[in-house]
Amino acid sequence: MRRLTTLAFAFMFVAAACGGGGGTSGGTTPSGGGDMSALAPGKDVKPAAKITWWHAMSGVNGDALNKIVDGFNKSGKGITVEAVFQGTYDDLLAKLNTAIASNAAPALVQVYDIGQVYMRDSSQIVPMQAFIDRDKFDTKDFEPAVINYYKYQDKLYSMPFNASSAILYYNKDAFKEVGLDPNKPPQTFTEIADAAKKLTKKDASGKTVRYGFGPSIYGWLYEQMMATSGVQYADNGNGRDNKATKVNWDSAESKAILNWWKAGIDGGYFFNPGQDNNGAANAFDSQLSAMYIESTARLRGHINAGGTKFEIGTGLYPRPDNKPANGGNIIGGASLYVMKSRPAEEQQAAWEFIKYAMSAPVQAQWQSDTGYYPIVKSAYDQGPSKEWSTKYPQFNTAIDEIRNSPQNRATNGAVLGVMPQARARTQKMIETVLLGQASVDAATKAAVDEINAAIDKYNKANP
Amino acid sequence: MRRPLAPRILAYSVLVLGAIVVAFPLLFALSYSFMTPSEVATYPPPILPSSPNFDNYGTVFATIPIGRYLLNSFVVSAAVVVGQLATASLAAYAFSFLVFRFRTLLFFVFLSTLMIPWEATIIPNYITIRTLGWLDTYQGLAVPFMATAFGTFLLRQAFLQIPRELWDSARIDGASSLRFFRSMVLPLARPALGTVAIYGFLSTYNQYFWPLLITNERLMRTTQVGIAQLRDEETLRWGLIMAGVVMVAVPTLALLVLGQRQLIRGLTAGAVKG
Repeated sequence: MRRLTTLAFAFMFVAAACGGGGGTSGGTTPSGGGDMSALAPGKDVKPAAKITWWHAMSGVNGDALNKIVDGFNKSGKGITVEAVFQGTYDDLLAKLNTAIASNAAPALVQVYDIGQVYMRDSSQIVPMQAFIDRDKFDTKDFEPAVINYYKYQDKLYSMPFNASSAILYYNKDAFKEVGLDPNKPPQTFTEIADAAKKLTKKDASGKTVRYGFGPSIYGWLYEQMMATSGVQYADNGNGRDNKATKVNWDSAESKAILNWWKAGIDGGYFFNPGQDNNGAANAFDSQLSAMYIESTARLRGHINAGGTKFEIGTGLYPRPDNKPANGGNIIGGASLYVMKSRPAEEQQAAWEFIKYAMSAPVQAQWQSDTGYYPIVKSAYDQGPSKEWSTKYPQFNTAIDEIRNSPQNRATNGAVLGVMPQARARTQKMIETVLLGQASVDAATKAAVDEINAAIDKYNKANP
Repeated sequence: MRRPLAPRILAYSVLVLGAIVVAFPLLFALSYSFMTPSEVATYPPPILPSSPNFDNYGTVFATIPIGRYLLNSFVVSAAVVVGQLATASLAAYAFSFLVFRFRTLLFFVFLSTLMIPWEATIIPNYITIRTLGWLDTYQGLAVPFMATAFGTFLLRQAFLQIPRELWDSARIDGASSLRFFRSMVLPLARPALGTVAIYGFLSTYNQYFWPLLITNERLMRTTQVGIAQLRDEETLRWGLIMAGVVMVAVPTLALLVLGQRQLIRGLTAGAVKG
């Protein structure tokens, strides 16, 4: 029995080793400001006639994505992109790992935001900067907040594709009912707590029928609050100047966030849906909570569900009372990677497709179909984008929010090799505090110690 | 003689209550599939739709080729069931009736494959299927699951229940191994065969990762991958997803209802044998 299992494991290692041999060894980490064009295929390489693109967009967003692909295939470039849906972001990554091991990866893949260090360290990708440097491609028109999220040492590794941030959603009808100004959403932690107290409503038996504020325990929302507090989530420039070695969750700002959240729960004016984003969204739609924070990309969903029953307002993301000038919001979503294991012709074709997808008309249509931010600023001048902003004026808050976010390491957002694990760990940290299982000091210390050890292990394994 | 009324009422109420608890998730899914997004997002959640409509079902048909996915899942699951029954019953026959060297040892080696997590075999399996050129094919979806250690174990235990005397008398009457297998073992082990068949069918029908891994072509995907396609990244349209779930679950339930008589007959036949 033991022999059989050993055999199976040995087989797996061999398979992984064979597959890994495709590219040149070593990381693609550049040493500072060098030109990366050497990593891209030659400029005169003819693009392949057909490439495959793995993505994780389904439903409405999947339809919008296929629209881009159809447009490109019919644009007369002689390249056909075949878009293949591969399940959730996690499923796609698992499938990609398997495919890399047997040399069957596609030319282009969409990977979620927190997978970026993993992708970079895999040395299986052609950095986007290589194409940009080679073609002297102008990125001036790109939304800085969006593009900076995917940079390491100021080099772009992947092309942002679907980008969203987080905003405050609030129920204007409830605001009117309790005498709050429906056009002036609260912004600071204290303002939110005060409004939440007023919005909280109990029935005759003392049971709360409406909470003021109901955020889900979601690591991404905590990351956003760290950014609006103007502090870095991890050291070494949030892992962007060099690999991060420590997280900053035990900082005064982080503790202030936890104390504020905990006071709201203990005071009975914050709703705790647990680690359940959909639960938090449903609570807002069903008016169990009058305010909550979530992705900008949920706006249309809310207008279709809750918006039929009450008027939805959007406001800037919560921040500390002193509104730090260096605080702002981070981008979330996913980006596109060109895989190194494919022939140069296919890499070239993938780049052609990316250039097409990043053009203003395509981006404007993408925004109006999905509710994601356009990646290029000139898209906002296009018809579909303008129509969308007219139809959903609440989205202007989202645009203002990232436009007004100062660009620094705190608002660039953290990148860690163990980001998925770190996010899950912050959720556990927040939950233990909210449920009163540990003090803020004890919970942050335990979380920091655990993740610092995991980061150390990752960095040793990926020097 | 009929039992008195009171205990019967009690027994039936308990049974009805149990049935409701067991069927609740399914009925709830059915009810949600007829609701609009805004109705789903009401608190407390409504039990029944206020104005049932088939919009969600229409959207499922418009979004994914659900008919084709159902066909794919049925073809693959049926093929796996046939394959598993054939390999497992023959292997179990060998392990229970034939005498050969290292029989027990071989059986335990066979059993030990149950201990290997599927994650450990998925890459080798993928490479094999890819080398055979079976990506995006029915055989790629079905063949890796046609042998089952669990099924073999289950059938061997069932075969061991068959009295040895039957084997002896069959041999005396001149029946070959194959004849005995066909005329005696298989009919007597029908309940066990039914269990293996249902288990194999459901586990194949509910597979997600393997079909996702080895298919890229839209029309070769299976139902579970199809349901994943109904999801949105940012908002879950529960009504739509539940409509998909109902459409995927109903055919299996129908099969179970149709097969139930056969199954129960098999079970009782097993119970009164010997």
